[in-house]
Amino acid sequence: MKLITKTILNYLLVSIPLILFAGFFSYYLIKHELRDGVDETIFKDNKQIENSLKDYPVKDIKYLSHDSLSFVRISSISNKQITYLDTSVFDRNENEFVNYRSIRNNVTVNGINYLIVISKTTLEEEELMEGLFSSFALVILFLVVAFFIMNWLLSKKLWKPFYNTISKLGEYDVNKNTQLSFDAHNVTEFNELNHALNNMINKINRDYLHQKEFTENASHEMQTPLAIIKANVSALMQSESRNELEMNELLSIENTIKKLSSLNKTLLLLAKIENNQFQKNEKVCLKTVINTIINQYADIIEIKKIDIKQIFNNDLYVLMNPLLAEILIRNLIQNAIKYTDINGIINIIVNKKDFSIENVGKPLTIKEDDLFQRFKKDSESIESLGLGLSIVKSIIDLYGFKIDYKYLNSFHTFTIHSF
Amino acid sequence: MKILLIEDEPELRKSIKQFLFQDGYLVESANDFLQASEKTEDYEYDCILVDITLPKGNGLDIVKQLKERNSKAGIIIISAKNSIEDKIIGLDLGADDYLVKPFDLSELNSRIRAVIRRKSFDGNKSIIINEITIIPEERSVKVNDELVQLTAKEFDLLLFFIINKNRVVSKNTIAEHLWGDDSDQMDSHDFIYVHLRNLRKKLAEKGCTDYVQTIYGIGYNFKTN
Repeated sequence: MKLITKTILNYLLVSIPLILFAGFFSYYLIKHELRDGVDETIFKDNKQIENSLKDYPVKDIKYLSHDSLSFVRISSISNKQITYLDTSVFDRNENEFVNYRSIRNNVTVNGINYLIVISKTTLEEEELMEGLFSSFALVILFLVVAFFIMNWLLSKKLWKPFYNTISKLGEYDVNKNTQLSFDAHNVTEFNELNHALNNMINKINRDYLHQKEFTENASHEMQTPLAIIKANVSALMQSESRNELEMNELLSIENTIKKLSSLNKTLLLLAKIENNQFQKNEKVCLKTVINTIINQYADIIEIKKIDIKQIFNNDLYVLMNPLLAEILIRNLIQNAIKYTDINGIINIIVNKKDFSIENVGKPLTIKEDDLFQRFKKDSESIESLGLGLSIVKSIIDLYGFKIDYKYLNSFHTFTIHSF
Repeated sequence: MKILLIEDEPELRKSIKQFLFQDGYLVESANDFLQASEKTEDYEYDCILVDITLPKGNGLDIVKQLKERNSKAGIIIISAKNSIEDKIIGLDLGADDYLVKPFDLSELNSRIRAVIRRKSFDGNKSIIINEITIIPEERSVKVNDELVQLTAKEFDLLLFFIINKNRVVSKNTIAEHLWGDDSDQMDSHDFIYVHLRNLRKKLAEKGCTDYVQTIYGIGYNFKTN
């Protein structure tokens, strides 16, 4: 839910009961005031009648209005008492009930007890009440709507810097080591937020750089001790008196050093690719790259009697770092050569926008989804590190290309799209 | 032949020195920038092995100094840094080769020989071992004055054996020499065997002694004595 929606909903939640309460309250207040006014009028009329009775006494009954609801008559009750009451009288002409307010006054004038009743229709007041109330409701409605619109517009304007900040944060990529610059403005809270974010990002960038440097340095530092072990193993191997067991153990050490060292180099390469340290892009001719690599492995292809076909439907030129282009293609070709059996087939197909390499081979022993994962490898290849295809994936990701894999009719096919 | 080894790690210095000494080189060493700078100014060497990260300075500056003085010494950078930029910078400064740690000493030997060979102008560019004559520049091999047709890999293998003669070289070392760093991706040991079998056959056809001894399946020794 958006902040604006949430704010407006909250306002509604509070304002509806408030408005209802205020409505009822003012309704009763106005009603009370109006009734007081009516009561005052009929009381004054009553006083006037009372005064006139002093000079003009009434015999029996005298009607004061043609609807016979206001009258003076002689009463048997002598104690002075004024009461007000509401009555409803059915009006035959209008076919509806009409409300009246009446005053009943028992009074003694010149020793005669009278009952004065004065009634007044409250129609006028009711209409006034209705008018007042509907105009009041209209004003409230207008105010509420205006308030919401204002609030919505104002929120949009007020929160704009906040949304700017969010969209800038969305673009932030720690790999690219970008410095975010937030615009300064006159809202203290937003300035503080941006300031805090700036500090945080600077710290992230710094830490990230340190970590990168550390990884690189650690990898480099490891190579020298490995070089020492390697040299010593090599020296031990030279002794004429070594027996087979000792030699095999030395070989095992040597293999381990080799693995460790290439692991080190590969992880360093992966880190460099992911840190975007290969920047200079050039137009690379894929055909040239493929030919160079195949020539380097020509002897192995010949020994394994692999039938390698290259189909160039296009001299695809790719804008990328030449070294990475070579590493990408080399890893795919190496992979194909490695997993093709003797007398196997490799097809390399280059089209206008894509490159595919396919080779005949046994089905995968690992899950297809794990193919590009680090350290996932075919269980039979003990020597391999299982990093070749994850290097491929890193390069593909770096340039925003797409790669997919399928296994069909005993052909493994890797295709790079949108080169 | 005189070699200067500039390397700050004592253990590695010792190993390299010992190895090269056994191969008949005269080896001097320097363990920091100042010592190295002093030695390169005072003496002439055939080949200088220089590490980039040194105490009190950068190995690349030694390369610069040598080039400024038009030194004829071959220069091989030995570094733990594998980045292409460092390689390019080093070679641009005038170094002859760049070897990444951890390297094999046989590989180092092969690189030193190659550098010295390229630097020598005395016409003595062929390597002669009994009945075998190799002219590396022409990539040609003669046995008893008869030319032997070798493939590129067979030639590289033979040259590597001859430079590291009378020494055990493991299959790992050979694979790295023939196919480079990423040879482990290719199950390359089987292919060494194929190349060696072909090489032996071709040499034997010209009446060459089989010098290559197999060492318990882990490597080979090109024995000439």
